Amino acid sequence: MDVFATNFQTIDWVIVCVYICIPVAIGIFVKKYIRQLSDFIVAGRSLRLFIAIATLTGTELGLVTVMYNSELGFLHGLSAFHVGIIEVFCILAIGLTGFIVYKLRQMRVMTIPEFYQMRFGRNVRIVGGIILALGGILNMGLFLQAGARFMMGVTGYSNPAGLKIFMSVMLIMVLVYTVLGGMVSVVLNDFMQFVVLSIGMLIGSFFAISKVGWANIFQAPPTVNSASWFNPISEGSGFGSIYVIFMVVLTFSAGALWQSGTLRALSAKTPRVAKQLYAWSSVSYLARRVIPMLWGICAFVFVSQTPRLLEAFQGPDALNSQFGMPVFMAKVLPSGFLGLIAAGMFAAFMSTHDSYLLSWSSVITQDIIAPLKKNGISDKSRLLITRICIVTIGLFLLIWGLWFEAPVSLWNYMAVTGTIYLAGAFTVVTAGLYWKKASRTGAKIALYAGLLAIMGIGPWTRGENVPFYLSDKFIGVMTFAVAFLGMIFGSLLFPDKTGSEEVKR
Amino acid sequence: MNWELLWKAVLIFTLSGYSLLVIIVIIGGVGNIVDMLRDLTNPPDPDQE
Repeated sequence: MDVFATNFQTIDWVIVCVYICIPVAIGIFVKKYIRQLSDFIVAGRSLRLFIAIATLTGTELGLVTVMYNSELGFLHGLSAFHVGIIEVFCILAIGLTGFIVYKLRQMRVMTIPEFYQMRFGRNVRIVGGIILALGGILNMGLFLQAGARFMMGVTGYSNPAGLKIFMSVMLIMVLVYTVLGGMVSVVLNDFMQFVVLSIGMLIGSFFAISKVGWANIFQAPPTVNSASWFNPISEGSGFGSIYVIFMVVLTFSAGALWQSGTLRALSAKTPRVAKQLYAWSSVSYLARRVIPMLWGICAFVFVSQTPRLLEAFQGPDALNSQFGMPVFMAKVLPSGFLGLIAAGMFAAFMSTHDSYLLSWSSVITQDIIAPLKKNGISDKSRLLITRICIVTIGLFLLIWGLWFEAPVSLWNYMAVTGTIYLAGAFTVVTAGLYWKKASRTGAKIALYAGLLAIMGIGPWTRGENVPFYLSDKFIGVMTFAVAFLGMIFGSLLFPDKTGSEEVKR
Repeated sequence: MNWELLWKAVLIFTLSGYSLLVIIVIIGGVGNIVDMLRDLTNPPDPDQE
């Protein structure tokens, strides 16, 4: 069997091309609803519960999410499910308690660094804004590559130049509708993509399970260790207890404070809706992990049953493991439905890009550029700057995403670049909201501590027999610990003498 | 610990729970979109919270 043999036919190309034009039409349609900055960034704070769930899921269930989760399933088997279990409990805990998100929505902030200023002053906001934008934009760095690999695996089309042109066209379309319609456009597109992608994923799971057989999923293939297929803490699973701890801290902080997700809570009609949004979405968070992992697991079982494919994924010239799931789905799903799934995935790719572009460009405008201008900036100018930032970040991604080859795996890269922002942000927001003694110095130390996470993608984290203290997971956990301790000791040793006028205001 | 049983339960819960959520959100979401667009065309209501 040819590795890139696929059921993808002309009809599937037609479905994909028609489908990805719809968002641009929506962007043009809703432009008339954008009258002020809050309409553009937080949809006028008018999101009700169900549309908020759809848009949160649409954002957090991107093509990249599907790719890195299916890769985890492909590499680690059922033991990968533990990440989904951890995440669902973290999101549910946030939803039931309203931890962080309720208060932030109550304060009517539009970005996380806006809270930094309310609590710690302008300088902390600017530092926090820069670190957030840096971590966030780098975090998007590999999205285009993952998208290109998915496309290659599903369609069997492998011309590198053609792939780059296709991905570039999709990114340009995202830029157009996000620049035109802002959050309103993003919300409507997310809803449409939620519907198509969710139904596609559920039906796709049925095909995947039917192909390999339900019982075979729960039997470790002969090429892997049986214990590591099931148990995430067992030796050889590739995870271990430090990894599990890292996942708890990372998913909890990301659940509460990842700007693109939190933006939905901040766009909610009331603080209560923001809280409910998380409780309901916990099921979506579980699904966005477990369903792609299931596809990856089925792909691995299928590959291990097919000698030609097994050979392609092993040895020195082995295919990248990200290809496992798309290559499998291309052979299992029937033509027509495969086109719909691919369209849904490309739409998911676009919906993640639109939200992230909007998030990071609003941070740059609101939290870095605007605070630097003493006389303030008008709403109209902010809107223009935000749109310019969207295009600039898009161009950066085009260059970085298509030409930069990361030295580490996709999930490793995502986790580490996410930690650059999250370690500081989670500490600063939690302390700022719930600890009266938290000071500006402590906040700055915590934010800067996040930069330690960059060490997690260094060359020393690769290869066999890496000492635990140089592993990406240990560096990730330590970054959170240093940020936390930095906030405590910084605040106790250098307390704010009096609340500044700025903070009081 | 019976990992096999745990992951079976997780998988069944995810597929059935998510199917239910999708149905609920599709039905409720359409109404929410209409309300959102109405809010954006009307002047803001200061008492909404």
